[in-house]
Amino acid sequence: MLSIKNLHASVEGKEILKGINLEIKAGEVHAIMGPNGSGKSTLSQVLAGNDAFEVTSGEVTLNGENLLEKETEERAREGVFLAFQYPVEIPGVSNLQFMRTAVNAMRHHKGEPEMNAAEFMKLAREVSKQVDLDPAFLKRGVNEGFSGGEKKRNEIMQALLLQPKLAILDETDSGLDIDALKVVSDGVNALRAQDRAILMVTHYQRLLDHIVPDYVHVLADGKIVKSGGRELALELEERGYGWLGIKEDATEASSAN
Amino acid sequence: MKPAPTLLPTAFLHPAGQALPEPLLALRKQRGAALVDMPLPTRKTENWKYSSKHLKLTDEMAISLPIDGKAGSALAVPGYKVVFINGVMIPEASEYPDLNNILIQRFGDLSDAEASELAGQLDSTLDKNTVQLAGLNSARFEDGLVIRLKAGAVLDQPLFIIHEITAGASGSAFPRIFVDAGTNSQITLVEEYISSGQDAVMVNTVTEFNLAEGANVTSIRLCMDGENVQHVGATGVRQQRSSRFESHCVGFGGPLRRHDLQVSLEGEGAECKLNGVVVTQGTQHYDNHTNIEHVAAHCDSEETYRNIATDKSHAVFNGRIHIHQDAQKSNANMNNNNLLLSTGAEIDTKPELEIYADDVKCAHGATIGQLDEESLFYLVSRGIGRREANVLLTMAFINELVAQIPLEVVRDTVQVRLNHFFDQSFQGI
Ligand SMILES: Nc1ncnc2c1ncn2[C@@H]1O[C@H](COP(=O)(O)OP(=O)(O)O)[C@@H](O)[C@H]1O
Ligand SMILES: [Mg+2]
Repeated sequence: MLSIKNLHASVEGKEILKGINLEIKAGEVHAIMGPNGSGKSTLSQVLAGNDAFEVTSGEVTLNGENLLEKETEERAREGVFLAFQYPVEIPGVSNLQFMRTAVNAMRHHKGEPEMNAAEFMKLAREVSKQVDLDPAFLKRGVNEGFSGGEKKRNEIMQALLLQPKLAILDETDSGLDIDALKVVSDGVNALRAQDRAILMVTHYQRLLDHIVPDYVHVLADGKIVKSGGRELALELEERGYGWLGIKEDATEASSAN
Repeated sequence: MKPAPTLLPTAFLHPAGQALPEPLLALRKQRGAALVDMPLPTRKTENWKYSSKHLKLTDEMAISLPIDGKAGSALAVPGYKVVFINGVMIPEASEYPDLNNILIQRFGDLSDAEASELAGQLDSTLDKNTVQLAGLNSARFEDGLVIRLKAGAVLDQPLFIIHEITAGASGSAFPRIFVDAGTNSQITLVEEYISSGQDAVMVNTVTEFNLAEGANVTSIRLCMDGENVQHVGATGVRQQRSSRFESHCVGFGGPLRRHDLQVSLEGEGAECKLNGVVVTQGTQHYDNHTNIEHVAAHCDSEETYRNIATDKSHAVFNGRIHIHQDAQKSNANMNNNNLLLSTGAEIDTKPELEIYADDVKCAHGATIGQLDEESLFYLVSRGIGRREANVLLTMAFINELVAQIPLEVVRDTVQVRLNHFFDQSFQGI
């Protein structure tokens, strides 16, 4: 489904991704782990089409089509979904209006009729229950004043509504307490499907206790330095990143120079 | 040597011959005399600094517009209706109740005694030194509307005053409104300025509100004049004890749009809430000057104005709050937030606070920003189109103010105009 070949990307002239290679097939769940600052969010944002990041070389295809030449909204309509590490707060746009506009943009793209306000409200209430968000959150501004955990659940709610082909989850587990982690992982597990690929970006192994990945990759300094099965995650949990020759925190290391 | 100032063309000093009661004719004449040799504002005139170059007061503009007694009847509103065409009230097109505790009358129908009372009140709510051009209206109004609510009177439906310009010629219209809201009375007044003609017309309008103790007035002002209309308007408000005045001004730009809103809180416990939304595009110009006088103690004022400017347009907000020495425990809050949708647009915002009392709460804030790139990315990453994402974020900037307008029909009218604006300003996105 997703094929990334020798992807290089930079931000403000600084190279962050230094040749990423990754193949993900439909139905698979891949986890990308790595220390802070290794480029996990950069990879996620590049796949979603954030033009703050410049792709300098390499190629990315989704179901054989060149993803990089498409606009962000086209990518989304063709099934790319990114759960943001830091979801944006948008006061003045209600969560409900936002989600309905998004769902209808998708439906429009597929040639399906738009959902009216009442139909969508019904759907949104159901899905909000699934991620244990009080429907009152639908009336608030997008992510406005949400706690960290509420923002993450709101991201999963959007994934469930939009039913993407490729879901990229950027640290959807961070900042969650045990109960919220369970809710979020149930949501992610509900997304698992034969025709869907999931790319989970995480800093910690604990999410992988709930969502068992098919493959685990270790990203360090903009490159995948090791790939394996889920046992690799357990090994990282026990031994840290040191045995792979990786500094624990690339952010600290780079901010020192 | 200093160049001689440009004076108001004398042609402006000859009002047209509508039949008016003698006291009003006398008032007009007196106000006209005060305008002889009046220098026109220049960019050195502080409160006209940004707008003087857009003010075109030529002999041609001084011509009275033709009276069109047939137009306007088709305008449908959910409430009472008074129609002004080209600055003159048209009774045939108006529909309002004949009540004994609420008098709604055109100037031309007043008895001499009533006209004399009114003449004593006109201009009493405005500071003639800062709203120079209101004097022009006082010298030139051809007809107007007076509304008097007796103590406890409540107008059961909103009163819509539709000011339509249909003129097929240049010239000026001088509509005039005076509202005298008695003790504990209530009224919602909507003023809508529209044009069906395309001509270069000046609309020079003055609306005054006199609120007695406990009166509750909601004023909605939609400035949607045609694209060639210069609109120079003033609203004056005087408030006595425990009265409440709420204003919602929504305006779209033109060659010149100027609105002066002056509120004087003269009785303890009076409060005002002033909301404003301005949208400009192309080379349009919009200038809002507000002034709140906290004269009495224990009064609250809450002001929120937002401007959206795109292309090469220019929006100005000047908000003055004057807290007098005796106005202890005043509570004044003023905010002006501005959204620039293009780098060629300009917004000037200036708060002016003059505080002479020591025990007051007075806060103000002004911001100028653009649409947030991160928010845009978040929206489009969900499949929402760029244009729609721009619209959502622009609406987000003013939603709160539009939502506070208490009449659905007005909110809808505003939304239609906004959609039109979005179609133009986000086309090709
Ligand atoms: N917008 C940006 N501007 C400048 N540097 C950035 C930006 N985004 C990320 N970086 C830098 O890129 C590197 C990788 O960051 P990121 O992809 O967020 O890492 P991770 O998600 O793995 O913690 C870091 O050194 C970070 O400081
Ligand atoms: Mg990250």
